[in-house]
Amino acid sequence: MSEQQKEATSAIIEQLAKSGIRLVASLPDDWIADLIHNVEKDDRFKHVPVNREESAIGLCSGAYFGGIPAMALMGASGLMTCVYALTKINYTYHIPMFIFTTLRGVFGDPRPHHISNGLYLTRLMDSISLPYLLVEEKKTIARIPEAFKHCQVMNRPVVVAFTEAVLRGES
Amino acid sequence: MNLKECFQYFASRQEDGVVITSAGVTSGTWWRTTHDMDRVFYLGASMSMISMFGAGIAMGAPKLPVWVFMGDGAFVMNPGMLMVERDLDLPNLKHFLVSNRVYNATGAVSLPNSRRNDYAAIARAVGIERVFYIDSLDALKAQFDKIVLQPGHTFTVLEIEPLAEKPGGVPIDDVESKIRFGRYIEKTAGIKIFRHPATEPIVR
Repeated sequence: MSEQQKEATSAIIEQLAKSGIRLVASLPDDWIADLIHNVEKDDRFKHVPVNREESAIGLCSGAYFGGIPAMALMGASGLMTCVYALTKINYTYHIPMFIFTTLRGVFGDPRPHHISNGLYLTRLMDSISLPYLLVEEKKTIARIPEAFKHCQVMNRPVVVAFTEAVLRGES
Repeated sequence: MNLKECFQYFASRQEDGVVITSAGVTSGTWWRTTHDMDRVFYLGASMSMISMFGAGIAMGAPKLPVWVFMGDGAFVMNPGMLMVERDLDLPNLKHFLVSNRVYNATGAVSLPNSRRNDYAAIARAVGIERVFYIDSLDALKAQFDKIVLQPGHTFTVLEIEPLAEKPGGVPIDDVESKIRFGRYIEKTAGIKIFRHPATEPIVR
């Protein structure tokens, strides 16, 4: 990992800690693998690898009733599979859910199989009125606690979506 | 085994712990058995997520017994949840699989691979050590203390007969259910769940 990427990962993790997050349930995409490794070795968080992204939604929703501030960490494809869980659990019962994801399929992504994420992820979030913060510049990382707070205040899911450049510390 | 009789026995042994039920007959039957609206969360709006949901509660309230009643229709959608449960190995989480081999609430249509599914074997295969198979009320009574009162995560298959009639829904508003359940946990487990934003500092 480059020094730039280490700095970016560290900055994101510090904002998670500042938000009060104590539980992170994750399923990787390759852009967030380093972030997951660093969450795993940081004692401020309990990290739980899950079998599918919907399980992260279930676990973090339950953690709310256990008084544990939690976050689900997943790639864009994973978030696309979570519409059922989010709209059924979190929308129905007004349970907050904080999610980190990746902006796959946008300009610069070398993987053609992510084209659908580039075309539909933000539109999908708009279509189900799912608030999101796009982190396209390093300075926006500082807004993570604000996004988490919004999630808690509104009792709704909130997504923070990162570009590859920010995750690599290049932007 | 008859589900109503089975749930009557569980209800008679429930102390201060909480119950999570899944969509369909588990929610409807638990409601008709107990009329409880505080110690139970009827997660009727979602299938296959309730053991993860229960695990989240069990992590935050480690002294609170958490019983999860999941239908096998929900289980077959997400059997991989058992791998996460095994990793977590939460001593206060008791996962009960209500197995009737059909999608009972939606017309008693057969599950895939219905009669051959060996749910207990699946649980053992992922390394869960305390796995039980119960097919009669007498067996449940005989094994109850071992399953529920002894500390340690358990996975128990409750083999029941499909219901001839649907039990119907649960007459509680979804948000009221959240508040009542959360207040019960706050009072019983001594943890803070609900924080009104007016009382919290604004994070900048």
